[in-house]
Amino acid sequence: MTDRNDFISREKFMAELWRYKKGSVTRRHFLGVTGLGAATAVLGSAVPGLRSAAWAQSGIGDRVVLATWPNYHDPANFEAFTAATGAAVDMNVFGSNEEMLAKLQAGGSGWDVFVPTNYTITTYVGEDLIEPLDLAKIPNYDAASYNQRFAGPGTVDGTVYAVPKNWGTTGFAVNTAQLGSNPKPTTWKEFWDMTRADFSGRTMVHDYQLTTIGNALKYYGYSFNSIDTKELADAEKLLLDAKPHLFAISSDYQPSMRSGDAWMTISWTGDGKQMNRDMPEIEYVLGKEGGELWSDFYAIPKGAPHLDAAYALINFLLDPAVNAKESLFHGYPTADARVDALLPPEVLNDPILYPAADLLDALEFGAAVTLTDPNRAELMARFKSA
Amino acid sequence: MTPRLRTTLLLAPATVWLLAMLVLPLVVVVVFSFGERAAAGGYTPAFSFENFANLGARWTAFKNTLMLAPVGTLLCLLIAYPLAYYLAVRADPKWRTLLLILVIVPFWTSILIRSYAWIYLLGGQGIPKLVSLLGLGSPRLINTPFAVLTGIVYGYLPLMVFPIYVSLERLDKRLLEASADLGSPPWRSFLQVTLPLSMPGVATGCMLVFILLMGEFLIPAMLGGGKVFFVGNALVDLFLQSRNWPFGAAVAVALVVIMLVTVTAYMRFTRRWAGGRDDVSLM
Amino acid sequence: MRIYALGVYLFLYIPIGVIAVFSFNAGRYAAQLQGFSTQWYGKALSNPFVMEALQTSATVAAASAVLATIAGTLAALALQGVSGRPRMIFDALLYIAVMVPGIVIGISTLIALVTLFDWINPVVASLWPVADAAPQFHLGTGSLIAAHGLFAMALVVIIVRARVAGMDRSLIEASADLGATPFGTFRQVTLPQIFPAILAGFLLSFTFSFDDFIIAFFVAGSETTLPIYVFSSIRRGVTPEINAIGTMVLAVSLLILIVAQTILQRGRRAQPA
Repeated sequence: MTDRNDFISREKFMAELWRYKKGSVTRRHFLGVTGLGAATAVLGSAVPGLRSAAWAQSGIGDRVVLATWPNYHDPANFEAFTAATGAAVDMNVFGSNEEMLAKLQAGGSGWDVFVPTNYTITTYVGEDLIEPLDLAKIPNYDAASYNQRFAGPGTVDGTVYAVPKNWGTTGFAVNTAQLGSNPKPTTWKEFWDMTRADFSGRTMVHDYQLTTIGNALKYYGYSFNSIDTKELADAEKLLLDAKPHLFAISSDYQPSMRSGDAWMTISWTGDGKQMNRDMPEIEYVLGKEGGELWSDFYAIPKGAPHLDAAYALINFLLDPAVNAKESLFHGYPTADARVDALLPPEVLNDPILYPAADLLDALEFGAAVTLTDPNRAELMARFKSA
Repeated sequence: MTPRLRTTLLLAPATVWLLAMLVLPLVVVVVFSFGERAAAGGYTPAFSFENFANLGARWTAFKNTLMLAPVGTLLCLLIAYPLAYYLAVRADPKWRTLLLILVIVPFWTSILIRSYAWIYLLGGQGIPKLVSLLGLGSPRLINTPFAVLTGIVYGYLPLMVFPIYVSLERLDKRLLEASADLGSPPWRSFLQVTLPLSMPGVATGCMLVFILLMGEFLIPAMLGGGKVFFVGNALVDLFLQSRNWPFGAAVAVALVVIMLVTVTAYMRFTRRWAGGRDDVSLM
Repeated sequence: MRIYALGVYLFLYIPIGVIAVFSFNAGRYAAQLQGFSTQWYGKALSNPFVMEALQTSATVAAASAVLATIAGTLAALALQGVSGRPRMIFDALLYIAVMVPGIVIGISTLIALVTLFDWINPVVASLWPVADAAPQFHLGTGSLIAAHGLFAMALVVIIVRARVAGMDRSLIEASADLGATPFGTFRQVTLPQIFPAILAGFLLSFTFSFDDFIIAFFVAGSETTLPIYVFSSIRRGVTPEINAIGTMVLAVSLLILIVAQTILQRGRRAQPA
């Protein structure tokens, strides 16, 4: 860790913060070393939050129900939460945002915390399904330390409904040991062409219209979010053409990739990282044409049965130390600078988690209308039933 | 208490139950099927036939179901019959009960867990690996119609074995002896005595399996890799993915109508075929 | 013939064997064997949500089976004295209840109850004397029991009715002639005769509810039954914990069955022939 003269490094800042938190240095020493006299106000709100996990200990009940995505949490963190608060975490795992929305629309979901993606939040607000957050109960959430690009969608018309969990990309994972004479694919065009040639019967796509149709649109260089009839017709033609060559249409692709049954799949950042960590021959690729950039959030649904526990859990998971452990476990980056400061450099330099700027710039955020467009839904149904 | 009042009171709980949990939901589904999808999904009241006009968009799902359900039923029958025959006629009576129990026991592990075992068995590390070690090439099994059929037969076999076993067990063995005494070869006895007498069981088993197969969605989803699409899968997607409740309701109505027509026709047919016996089927 | 039967049993039991073998896997992934361990049994047994799901499943199965058996048996008995149009309508409803696929029952119950509750809850709330204390109807154990019980009840009616039809009616007449009350006749004559059918109906109902995923998936609301828990676990990446649960459920049901069988046989032997 090298000190620079002009400003304190993130690593150093966090190290000092932790020393202060543990009580090994005084507040004055801490403020002096970090030179954050002017930022005392910010710290004033951040540090007590870190220190006072104690407030969560009194009477939040014995459980909290979390609706989230697969392979997205470190079980050890939940065990720590239960040990600290007495509330056990009941995790429901979902396959798509649409399914989450359907369950909430049907009512009586019983969830306390759920994990919506950026493009769904305006819909939840419009349908009155999401609770505005009382940020005073989430002291670990420090808006100033978050990258606004990823935190922004949580605020609708000036009200904060959701705080950022992780962000990531939607690319594809390919088992390079199976490439044969093919060069390693770097574009969505190659993804779909290889699927219909040497990788026939070995490719998986998501059972999720947003990403599967979106990345078929990228084959032609169209927008990931297109709802244009002609462009969707092109994407449909490609999908129907590729269907007989697919291994499966499923968002649960890790087992098949790991067993070697499938060689290539549309993949999210963390799944790519998790597979690459255990099997280096599986590499994660961002299509040069672009694709999806997304940001997931923690939010509380209207009528959550254990509201105190919901706030306690969100606050706990946003503690930078906890959040960093989550990130190391599942391989999705956070938008919180305090978390980055705790991560080892090899993670911060990992091109799977933090892609190069030119690849990142080509990506688009999914749009609300992309998810709810009835034509895309029908296209997906035709693709699946073909 | 008059007998009439007593009858009414005895029937009341069942009638209320049928009205509240069967008639009311089905009426709501019919009403919804004439509605429109709300902008963010769900239902908006309307009166339009558009959802029914659009049913063609799910034609493949109906076609797959109407093909795989009879094929699956037939496969179950072909595999179950000899087993039921063995259990009822040939097996040592001492072991019969145990053997019968062993047919149902797998039922008590969730179908989800059992299907997951098949994902492993049919996947690259399972049977195909075994086959390739024997030098017979490496067949692809998982995520094929074959895998779906395997899962179906596995899941529904006991439902077929039982009714057939029951009807064969009632069979008077003296009939077979008499037939043999009269010089009839075993295969003819089977065709002329055993098979006709077991028809009620066959008809019941086939109907049970067929009904369940028409609504199946888990096995194709798990063992078909999302590529084998039944009406059940279309329904789940319409309610949980695109949240097009009115169209989903129309598909459900169509499925129920198809079932009513096919099952009623089937029952008429089997009743005549089995000589007007009343215990032919469930009803 | 015997070899064929053996083959079918192998077909039935190899997947069960795979489940059992992997439940003793030391590794975290269900599909890679990494040594022997019983840790997943401990994990499953100490997981409060597994135990709770098991309890929910057992409660729902028991309640729906009991209610279905009672309502179904009463109806089967009453149907003896019903004919003409009412009988036709009732038979048609039973027929539809058995025939409509579970997925349609699940979906239609979901939309009907959600619509009904949306309409009823504000009405109840406005009539309730204490503001904010009014009960809220929502999907849960109640709707699960009602939906599972529907199919089960139809099944019970059909099974018991067949038995009632085959009953020896002269015994009932004799009992009445000897001055027994209708209830006395029912308890001492009718019930023993139809009991095997009632028991069969109850067991079928229980098994159906305990194993059902499709209907529960739609109408369980915030409740988690064992199959729903298993479904969610498969999504989060299968660990051998699921295999351990499956193996335990299997072992316990096998045990119950063997005990029941032994008791029944003893009972039979104890009876003078």
